Amino acid sequence: MSKATENNLSQTQDQHRDRSGQQNQQQQGRSVAEWVSFGISTAILLAVAGLILFWWLTAPKGPPIIRISPAGDIRQVEEQFYVPFEVKNTGGSAADAIQARAELRINGQVVEQATQSFSFLSRGETEKGAFVFTQDPREGKLTMSITSYKQP
Amino acid sequence: MSSQEQSRNPWMSELDDLMRGASGGFLFSTTLIYTMEVWWTGTYVDPGRMLVALMIAFAVVFMLNRSAGFRRVQNPQFSEDMFETIQALALSLVCTAAFLLLLRRISFETPLQEVLGKVVYESVPFALGVALGNQFLSSGGRRQQQSSGQQSSGQQSSEFILHSTLMDIGATMVGATFIALTIAPTAEIPMLAVAISPPWLLALMIASLVVSYGIVFEAGFANQQKRKQQQGILQRPLSETVAAYLVALIVAAFLLWFFKQLTFDDPWHVWFNLSIVLGFPAAVGGAAGRLAV
Repeated sequence: MSKATENNLSQTQDQHRDRSGQQNQQQQGRSVAEWVSFGISTAILLAVAGLILFWWLTAPKGPPIIRISPAGDIRQVEEQFYVPFEVKNTGGSAADAIQARAELRINGQVVEQATQSFSFLSRGETEKGAFVFTQDPREGKLTMSITSYKQP
Repeated sequence: MSSQEQSRNPWMSELDDLMRGASGGFLFSTTLIYTMEVWWTGTYVDPGRMLVALMIAFAVVFMLNRSAGFRRVQNPQFSEDMFETIQALALSLVCTAAFLLLLRRISFETPLQEVLGKVVYESVPFALGVALGNQFLSSGGRRQQQSSGQQSSGQQSSEFILHSTLMDIGATMVGATFIALTIAPTAEIPMLAVAISPPWLLALMIASLVVSYGIVFEAGFANQQKRKQQQGILQRPLSETVAAYLVALIVAAFLLWFFKQLTFDDPWHVWFNLSIVLGFPAAVGGAAGRLAV
């Protein structure tokens, strides 16, 4: 690559628009930096495409399976009892508008109910929340359930 | 490779190229990164569709690269355009992943397929922005001509400096409003603001500063040289970036108040959270504004 030719090249901003004339230099003159960045780019792209394919081939198929379970200790603040829970989708596809419900029975009678809804729970995703009661759930029987979901 | 490129450190010029690409991407895709429907689509999209999205992005970016592109030096060769397309896509994937992480749309606990879905879907518009890169802001602005004319005449009066400073602030406000206006009334802003913790909010502020600095001073958009000659008290790159960010934050806060996302009864930290979350698109817009006016 001749220095003289290079120095004669315009250094203006119009340079990037000039798509003729630079061809030969460009062909020989890709810097190490460009190669390294190209290598990293190719690796990233291949990794992403590979991960998508891997997930496609290995992932379980089928409808959502949603589980609800307590997640931690019941907290009491003033007159309210907070019951933390988590909702997990272990099925093969995502769900939307998941309805979670909790019922507190004391002496066989339903004394309180609480509900919560979650949007977009993808496969394998866990979301957390809490039900809030005014009576101590530890004095009765607390049942948690998922009542419905919507296919996104 | 031109003499200008070679006389500089090749690593730096490569970094500049990438920075320019990323700046174009942020300009083009920030509104979609702030759209919850795109996150949701990413949550439940199936892998086949994701691959199709990647391929479409690849094809479109390739075609754009045939005519435009983010590199300063261009070449009509097929292999060269492939080279650029691969880099543009990888850059998009990395930048959108980082940005979604910053906005707490993905975290290290998020299931892999959700991360992939969100990143792939958000990176499609980003990749278009990367490919369009220089085309965005390549038209010469009247302000720069005006200012270089003034400069060549030698002495600058204090009145002129004041005038330039006001024009900078004005351009930042116009640009910030232009991008932030479409995002300010949406439910995404409070949604993002509640999910973001103070350390991440700080990180978002730093990212806003870095990206707006990148757009104006690093990315080498067409008006940048003129930009560096621009007069006024805000003309040190760092002080200009910080001052412009403050302007962007004020614009963001005003727009949020205008659309009733914020009221004067809200505690100060809510004002901070929401304004900083909207401050990113506002800062990106403000940076573009200062180049374009």
